[in-house]
Amino acid sequence: MLTSDSLLTLGAATAAKAPIIAGDPLALLIPAMPILGVIICTLCGIFGVRNKLPAFATVLCLAVSFAVTAKLFMGHDGGVSIATGFEWMSLAWGEGQGQRLVADFSLYLDSLTILWMLFVTGLATLIALYASEYMSHDVGLGYCRFFAAFNLFVFSMACLVMGDNMLLLFLGWEGVGLCSYLLIGYFYKKPSAVAAAKKAFIMNRIGDVGLILGVMLTFVHFGSIEYREIFAACQPYIDLAKAGKFNEIPAIVQLIPILLAVGAFGKSAQLPLYVWLPDAMEGPTPVSALIHAATMVTAGVYLVARTYPLFLLSEYALPIVAWTGALTALVAATIGMAQFDIKRIMAYSTVSQLGYMFAGLGVLTSTGAAFHVVTHAFFKALLFLSCGAIMHGFAGQLDLRKLSGVGFMKGWGVVGLGMFVGCMNLAGFPFTAGYFSKDMILAEAFVTPGMAPIGWILLLTAGMTAYYTFRVFFRVVVGPMHYEPGDELHHAEDDSHGHGHGHHDAPAADAAHASDAAHGHSHTHDDHAHHEHGHGAHFHPHAPGWAINTVLATLSVLSIAAAGLYFVKSPYAGGHAHGGAVPGMVERSSAAFETPFSHHGAGGAGGESHDTIKEGGHEGADGKAPTHAAAGAPSFVPTAIAKAHGAEAHAGSFFGYDPHKAMYYVSGVVGFVGIFIAFILHYAGRRTAATARADALLPAVGPLAGWAQNKWYVDEFYDFLIRKPLWFFSNVFYIFDKLVIDGLVRLVGGIPRFIGAMVRPTQSGELHGYAAGMAAGVAVLLFLVFILTMR
Amino acid sequence: MIETVTLAQAGFPAAMHQITLAHYLFISGAMFMLGLIGFLTRRNLIITFLCTELMFQAAGLALVAFSRFHMNMTGQSFVIFIVTVAAAEAAMALALVVLLFRKRESLDAAEWQEMKG
Amino acid sequence: MDQVINPLALYGACALGAIGVLLALPRRDGKNPQILGAVIASLAGGIVLLAMGLKAGGLFGVGYSPSVYFYVFALMALGASLRVITHPRPVYAALYFVLSILATAGLFLILSAEFMAFALVIVYAGAILITYLFVIMLATQAPTEDLENALTEYDTAAREPVIATASGFVLLAVLTTLMFRGVGELPKAPTINGQSLLAEMPRKIEAALLASGKLPTGAKVTFNSDGDAKVDFEKRTVEIKTADGQLQAVELPADLSVTNTEMVGFNLLRDHPGSIEIAGVILLMAMLGAVVLSRKQVQLDEDAKERHAKLLSAEFTQGAETNP
Repeated sequence: MLTSDSLLTLGAATAAKAPIIAGDPLALLIPAMPILGVIICTLCGIFGVRNKLPAFATVLCLAVSFAVTAKLFMGHDGGVSIATGFEWMSLAWGEGQGQRLVADFSLYLDSLTILWMLFVTGLATLIALYASEYMSHDVGLGYCRFFAAFNLFVFSMACLVMGDNMLLLFLGWEGVGLCSYLLIGYFYKKPSAVAAAKKAFIMNRIGDVGLILGVMLTFVHFGSIEYREIFAACQPYIDLAKAGKFNEIPAIVQLIPILLAVGAFGKSAQLPLYVWLPDAMEGPTPVSALIHAATMVTAGVYLVARTYPLFLLSEYALPIVAWTGALTALVAATIGMAQFDIKRIMAYSTVSQLGYMFAGLGVLTSTGAAFHVVTHAFFKALLFLSCGAIMHGFAGQLDLRKLSGVGFMKGWGVVGLGMFVGCMNLAGFPFTAGYFSKDMILAEAFVTPGMAPIGWILLLTAGMTAYYTFRVFFRVVVGPMHYEPGDELHHAEDDSHGHGHGHHDAPAADAAHASDAAHGHSHTHDDHAHHEHGHGAHFHPHAPGWAINTVLATLSVLSIAAAGLYFVKSPYAGGHAHGGAVPGMVERSSAAFETPFSHHGAGGAGGESHDTIKEGGHEGADGKAPTHAAAGAPSFVPTAIAKAHGAEAHAGSFFGYDPHKAMYYVSGVVGFVGIFIAFILHYAGRRTAATARADALLPAVGPLAGWAQNKWYVDEFYDFLIRKPLWFFSNVFYIFDKLVIDGLVRLVGGIPRFIGAMVRPTQSGELHGYAAGMAAGVAVLLFLVFILTMR
Repeated sequence: MIETVTLAQAGFPAAMHQITLAHYLFISGAMFMLGLIGFLTRRNLIITFLCTELMFQAAGLALVAFSRFHMNMTGQSFVIFIVTVAAAEAAMALALVVLLFRKRESLDAAEWQEMKG
Repeated sequence: MDQVINPLALYGACALGAIGVLLALPRRDGKNPQILGAVIASLAGGIVLLAMGLKAGGLFGVGYSPSVYFYVFALMALGASLRVITHPRPVYAALYFVLSILATAGLFLILSAEFMAFALVIVYAGAILITYLFVIMLATQAPTEDLENALTEYDTAAREPVIATASGFVLLAVLTTLMFRGVGELPKAPTINGQSLLAEMPRKIEAALLASGKLPTGAKVTFNSDGDAKVDFEKRTVEIKTADGQLQAVELPADLSVTNTEMVGFNLLRDHPGSIEIAGVILLMAMLGAVVLSRKQVQLDEDAKERHAKLLSAEFTQGAETNP
């Protein structure tokens, strides 16, 4: 067994041999432009700008960032280069290995980074444009605050994704957390928003403990936190892992990926720590779209993908990731099915889809996971922005029982279309982008040995996703036209009209009300059906303007076009990955199975195996699934996973068919079924906004619907498990603190006070008193001399 | 047993052989003590300062006696400095006394107790 | 200390002196047996001096002895000091202080410190005490008609006399005990031959020789490179240079010696020049301070200011009228 010392030297030698390819310094503009935006927005705030200047400055800055990213993408050859910014942290306390901590502000430019930055900056630009209209009710200081935080978020995200070391990643990680906190709590006068912001912040910190411990252990063990040195240093372990000798890998190394995964779970809202994300919808919708759907929450996926070589070193890390992801996907989908707040449904669907991505990472298709990240970013942003447009237009109304037929209203066509495109993608309707990316994960779950249960869970979830997605679509976008305004943003308008009608002042996200309805009560608004027009006469929903419509249309097109990525060949020569451009990019990065992730690593790439399978499937030579490791050198990962589960390495099959091929049909059918159920229950024969055929089913499912509606009481469970004991012990310790600790402190403080009180009378302020004291002191001193010199 | 070195042993003129250094030191000490007692007991600020002058006197006497004892003129030189300090102290103290008297129409030291702790 | 005084006598006398001083201190009711106290205190001082005199080898056996003057001056000094601290009237206290200074000056004379003795009389008795008297006069409340000789309360009442006296005499007892025990093996001071300073004063030698007629006309006392006269102290001769350039040794006059003032002067100016400068600065600062402190600070209230302003304006208008 190799000692860690010899390994470190080995790693150092490798690192020394590998020359650093200097990246395009232009890349530094990507994080620099948002910082410029922060400065502009801050100055606007200081000088009290009361127009949309901050928004358009932001759009411009982010567009430049995006253009630079696009330029990098065009000129990228698939290799790794490092654009050095400045020396950020360079500490040395000795000559040896591991006695030097280097963390420069340098950008690690490889295909994974560029892929991530492409959609981060692109979406950020679009969403900033959207927000320029969406936030227009708040023009002034709040507007500047919003866009400053928005820019800061993009900067942090750039640090997170582009940093060439884990410390810079951590900086970005905390930075996005901070911006998330700031933006969720944007409406800081609303207690629920403040609570949600705090919840998100604290939940994220729990995950961050894992991340920071993982980073520390990485440094302790590998002596560096720079990716290229870590990857070089872990190469010997990968060889061990390939041979299945996990017991020869130090436990500390196997612990690192698990800790990193905890961090990723926190940031990406996975199972134990997901509860913050739905609450985060208290923030303005553009924030929800950008941060809590498209970009920040995929930071966890990015972390796992970036440190994939480390994850391969543990026999448990990837299964943990896979199972967490799958269970999260299932739980979030069940909750999403029962919610009434459309934004919240989207939030749960985000959690669910993030679960998909983690499951994808866990079942060894980092390419599929990344593809899903990209497609999901587009269609989920589209969905959120559509929801936001509705919320904006209907005065904060988000309850799907109070809105109907929005897509057919005048001026709402683009929103309806956007919703349609987004829902199709999310539901995995055949030949949409979501369909392809989801398929890759589903298929790989059946391919990877021992992961078939995950495949089944994900398949079930896919059906549920299709159902709840189209539940929203069928109730809100199509059907009879009906709306009731919410009361969140347009109080004056709502008040002046609402009372005149004797109309119920229902809060937009009226949970209690919704709960009643879920239990089969006759809906209070049944007799309000005639308000379809009555409201219209007094409350005028304002249709989205050009900015929102442009962004929605662009995103719709992009969401559709994302499907095309599946058919585009890898942008780099010599790619092997199945699944088009995105997997082709991921394959070149550290997220590839075969590490080191050299693109000319011959033969052994898992991606090539897939390619073979695909071709084999097309040939249909013998109707049997070809072995997974049929071509090239034996791939490490299946062996590793097989070892982890004590099974023989073999290719998976789906009822005897090649999963890749079968999934095209199976997931398509599952999606159709889900959509069909939604159609039956929520569209066919629905005459009002509030009632649907689904209500008739409520008795059949018993209390389950209520439980799901109440999010399976997870919040309450956490409250009982963590907050209540914490509260109890806090009180106990408070009393202890008051009585014992404070008592001791006061005792110590009281002693000098007591002595002072005793001695104070001597300080009479009288001249003679002091003189007498002096004389007495001299006498005593002389007496002491007398005693001591007595012979 | 300690030999007390007398002035006579230190080469004083024969006529003074009976008077030792100790005599002068006793006088000096007694004078100092009287000055101290006066300082402590008298409340009139002027008398109080007179008593400090008395203590200066005692110190000067001791210094001159030692100067003679050691046949070293530095002792006498320092009496000059003592007188200097005494003069300066008297000037300042009396100025202060006048100032204080103007404020309270009284020379009682007990009137001034603002620095009470 | 047994050689100097019997400890029993010393401590007994201290206790006695304490009682005496206690009685002598002024009391508010005026019923203090001040005279008795003074007598007891003087008795105590006398006992100590007597005991020391007996130890030193007889007090009265010598006819003309400076020791008698010592005792006289010592008793005068202590007695005057006692009156300084016990007399209820500040003026008398100051005058007794003058007496105490005079007695101390006498003691200085016995110690052959003539310069210091007269400096003390001039500076203390002549200057400082006069200032004290001025201030006493200035800072005394005007006597009221019914109580012309009334003493102020703070002059008549001693403050905590018992504690003060006790601590004072304990201090004295301890101090004297330590003093009389000696300072152990004190290195014997080098006996300064005061006459060696003569060499530094060639002019004085020249003047003395001239006065005694021992100096030939035109002759000069020779110097070495330091400016010192070439004096041979063993032979008591000094080298002179006659008018024709011949060197010869001349005997010094018998009465030629270095005075105390010269010794102090040499010590002061040759050994402590910096200290003198500092003393001068201290005196200057004290003068400035005294001037600043005792300056009359007139504080005008609003009415007074108005009055002054009116007065000024009236003068101005008058001036304007007279000088159109």
